[in-house]
Amino acid sequence: MNDSRILLAHGNGGRFMRELIADVFARHLSNPVLDTDADAVHLPGLEGEIMVTVDGFTVQPLEFPGGNLGSLAVHGVVNDLAVAGAEPRYFTLSAIIEEGLEVAVLDRLIASFAAAARENGVAVAAGDTKVVRHGEGGGLYLSVAGIGVRRARAPLSMQGIQAGDAVLVSGPIGDHGIAVMLAREQFGLSGDLASDSASVLPLARAVWDLPGLRFLRDPTRGGLATVAHEIAHASGHAVVLEQARVPVRDTVQSVCEMLGYDPYYLACEGRIVAVAAPRTAQQVLAAWQDLPGGSEAAVIGRIEAGRPQLILETELGGRRILEELEDDPLPRIC
Amino acid sequence: MPTDDPQARRITLAGHVQGVGFRPFVYRLAVELGLRGWVKNVTGRVEIHAEGDSANLDAFARGLIAQAPPLALPRLLGNEVAKPSGLDDFRILESSASAEADIHLPTDNFVCPQCLAEMQDPGNRRYRYAFTNCTQCGPRYTLIRALPYDRANTAMAGFPLCPACRAEYEDPMDRRFHAEPIACPVCGPHLEYVEAGSAPTGDDEAALAAAVAALKAGRIVAVKGIGGYHLMCDARREAAVQALRARKPRPAKPLAVMFPDLDSLARQVSLPPGAASLIASPARPIVLLPKGKTSDLAPGIAPGLAEIGCLLAYSPLHHLLLRDLGGPLVATSGNISGEPVLTDNAEATVRLARIADAFLHHDRPIVRPADDAVYRPIVQCPRPVRLGRGTAPLELELPRPLAEPVLALGSHMKNTLCLAWNDRAVLSPHVGELDSERSLATLAQVAEDLQRIYQVRARRLLLDRHPGYGYRRWARDSGLPLREIWHHHAHASALAWEFPGVTDWIVFAWDGVGLGEDGGLWGGEAFVGGPGRWQRRASLRPFRLPGADSTGRAPWRSAAALLWETGEAAPFAPELLFQAWQRGINAPASSAAGRLFDAAAALTGVCSQASFEGEGPMRLEAIAESSSSPWRRGSSLIGLGSRLRGSDVPPLPLSRDESGLWRSDWAPLVAMLGDTTLTQAERAYRFHASLALALVDQAERLREEAGCHEVGLTGGVFQNRLLTELALAMLEQAGFRVHLPARVPVNDAGVSFGQVLEFLALQQ
Repeated sequence: MNDSRILLAHGNGGRFMRELIADVFARHLSNPVLDTDADAVHLPGLEGEIMVTVDGFTVQPLEFPGGNLGSLAVHGVVNDLAVAGAEPRYFTLSAIIEEGLEVAVLDRLIASFAAAARENGVAVAAGDTKVVRHGEGGGLYLSVAGIGVRRARAPLSMQGIQAGDAVLVSGPIGDHGIAVMLAREQFGLSGDLASDSASVLPLARAVWDLPGLRFLRDPTRGGLATVAHEIAHASGHAVVLEQARVPVRDTVQSVCEMLGYDPYYLACEGRIVAVAAPRTAQQVLAAWQDLPGGSEAAVIGRIEAGRPQLILETELGGRRILEELEDDPLPRIC
Repeated sequence: MPTDDPQARRITLAGHVQGVGFRPFVYRLAVELGLRGWVKNVTGRVEIHAEGDSANLDAFARGLIAQAPPLALPRLLGNEVAKPSGLDDFRILESSASAEADIHLPTDNFVCPQCLAEMQDPGNRRYRYAFTNCTQCGPRYTLIRALPYDRANTAMAGFPLCPACRAEYEDPMDRRFHAEPIACPVCGPHLEYVEAGSAPTGDDEAALAAAVAALKAGRIVAVKGIGGYHLMCDARREAAVQALRARKPRPAKPLAVMFPDLDSLARQVSLPPGAASLIASPARPIVLLPKGKTSDLAPGIAPGLAEIGCLLAYSPLHHLLLRDLGGPLVATSGNISGEPVLTDNAEATVRLARIADAFLHHDRPIVRPADDAVYRPIVQCPRPVRLGRGTAPLELELPRPLAEPVLALGSHMKNTLCLAWNDRAVLSPHVGELDSERSLATLAQVAEDLQRIYQVRARRLLLDRHPGYGYRRWARDSGLPLREIWHHHAHASALAWEFPGVTDWIVFAWDGVGLGEDGGLWGGEAFVGGPGRWQRRASLRPFRLPGADSTGRAPWRSAAALLWETGEAAPFAPELLFQAWQRGINAPASSAAGRLFDAAAALTGVCSQASFEGEGPMRLEAIAESSSSPWRRGSSLIGLGSRLRGSDVPPLPLSRDESGLWRSDWAPLVAMLGDTTLTQAERAYRFHASLALALVDQAERLREEAGCHEVGLTGGVFQNRLLTELALAMLEQAGFRVHLPARVPVNDAGVSFGQVLEFLALQQ
């Protein structure tokens, strides 16, 4: 059936659906816990503080340089648990499939999902599929709940953030936003830029227990600037980023300049922002730089006493305000 | 005249009669004429009771106006016969408690000729003292912390008067009677010269000598003045100018030049009639003046432009520096681009460290920043481009009282604030572009200070409709009710205020980009109506701006947009940008005339990448002015319209769009602008002429429709003298009466005041 397309009948509870689940979902995702015939399952081996998160995923195109919707969904949920100090253990997966999606594409996406889950030690414990009419969905939506066990010793929260703390990022920002946009618009550009979609679990693990680590977050939609705004609001302090220290790839920078975008607002899918006491910051940096996903990590700024806002220190010594993202930013040069 | 038959008069005066030594002046005049009675401040006016013989009373009344201190500008409100009460001397009475409506915050002024003469007199105790002032001169706005205007409420609070100064301060016959900032070398502020890596200099003379030596050696010195720091260097040394440009960095934006006196200024630039009195006025603004033929100023001061921003030394310190140096100095704001000028010694030291070789500080605090004001002569009259030190706060009168006090927050660029209550409005000095932390902090401080000093609490904030302007969050956090005003309505209403006799208008509001009523980015609009009832009736053909906000500094983007809109290729623009533009990614449509000027600057090759806002249009205008186009016929504008209509200047088709709006189509300009068989100057001139013709065509259509022949021109584009003068000449020849603002800037600095007027009209 791999050369065919999804029909409404794949969602009607009958034979087509049973075959789809067996041939695509169960084939890739099978593990001892997953029982496609049961209504609910027991999750064995969970001891300690249980953590749970849920996230829905949609992306156009479904496959892009550096990843696809399947791996993106796994990384998204793994990363949410990782920055909260938890080892991910189990997922649930709900797939909303649009009528007409090529089964081969679905198969690749679920295979990619399964591979990424395995790499991160996660088992899919429960699943569901629905089919919506053509035109009512973006090919495939995935909704994933993640269950994990907390391993970080101290709770990581924005409330612990103090003036004087350092802000770090684990790698260049905006790769995902630009890579996906270029792929979506099918610009005749065969650049080498790939999404940064990745699990940050190894990076998070490496710093969980450093005394003086205050807070971790993965910047996704809204990018670095949006995480920084959240930090500013929650801590009541200003977040100051130094433009020259924020890692941005040349390709991302030049596409941003050309199209008039600000890289600070672009989505990342495989980075962590950390806030740490100044001395800890050097340990975080050293730990990250030793890991494959962290070689370009950098201290990019600091927390300053003052009103909660985001300031970008430019290379010329200016202190520019980066506003919270608006729905639809309009030009304002008069 | 029998002196034993005393008469009495009750005289009332208004105007700038407080904080300028007006009561001591009245006292001295009365004593000279042998009159008895009293003078006092009452609710913003001065009331006088004078007794004496009628000839002396008449002379007194005349002298009150004719001999008044230059800053006072008194107006006689009443001169009535009163009952003599047999007083035996003349007294200055304590002020009556002044009501909120009558508080006046004075502006910062130059050092007056008398003080300057004292500074040049080796026998005077203020010989070469850099902080000399009196009731007739010196800083006010930048050192007043609170009213009443007493020394304790100023930046001079930390400098107790020495006995000699105190004697002057308390002597009603002295011109320093109650001069709050007075000082002398014994009790006042002092200079300090600091060079990186060396110890601060000792006394004032050593500091001055070191600063002058550094300037002579071609170095850049940050000099603390009245409203902030200037970055200064020798205006005749190209290497120094280039070093300043490289370090700031400010590759091309024109730099202001400060001259010691009018004579030395007139050797470098030409002084049109009317400009000399403005440039020498107590406000001492920067005035843009045509470069002279024999100037020895460094060419890098205003590259590609035909004018230089000139000002005269205004503070005592400037006089000393320029005199000792013996020549003009570049005097540009000591700031980071777009931010308000720096005022604090420690902050300036840090933030200007990479630009200045040395600092000439002083220890008189600057309470709030005030940049130098800027004027440009257009159509026979210097018109404000920027309000600042000496010209702001600008106190204005509303046509009717407001129901409640309001604070208008103006625009995002060239921000100013306007506090208004009853029938008064106070327009702040230039705050800056609201992208920076310091601009927003200054906005908050000025908002707070104006309300505190004028003892008025705004009950409502007025803001632009644009949701992304930098003050949005501050406004939300204030908790006050917000009222949004359309950008171009504010422009039009500010203009209309200057001409209260006109009720029905055709107003052209041409600028960069402002949010319009249909959600589009307007900036080439024509409205009919009046405040509170503006209707858009004409515009320009819209075009989509590739890269949205980034278009402002990249004229080549607007040029690409015009080419792409007309189906042409733009070989200079990246393919990726074209594809994004085609798909509408970050490419909103705009009808802004400012962007059309940008496009023209790029298509003619005059300027494709701007290093400052407006560089393209400014350079385009400068090169157009150099054109020897046959239609110019010298400088005569007579018959210009018919001459241009028969010429090679492309006419722009005017037709109604599907919504009934008149639209001028710029498409015929594209081929002309790229026609390399014509000189750049010729193309630039034809572009200006073509747009002026399009404006006249629109005005004629709207006159047919609306029956109105009063035309106003507003918006930043009309800082362009060539366009404005061409449009004005042709409009007048077509029978229109044309009005240009002269009191409030035509650019976005006037938006805050316009918001107040539009709000006031909408309240009716």
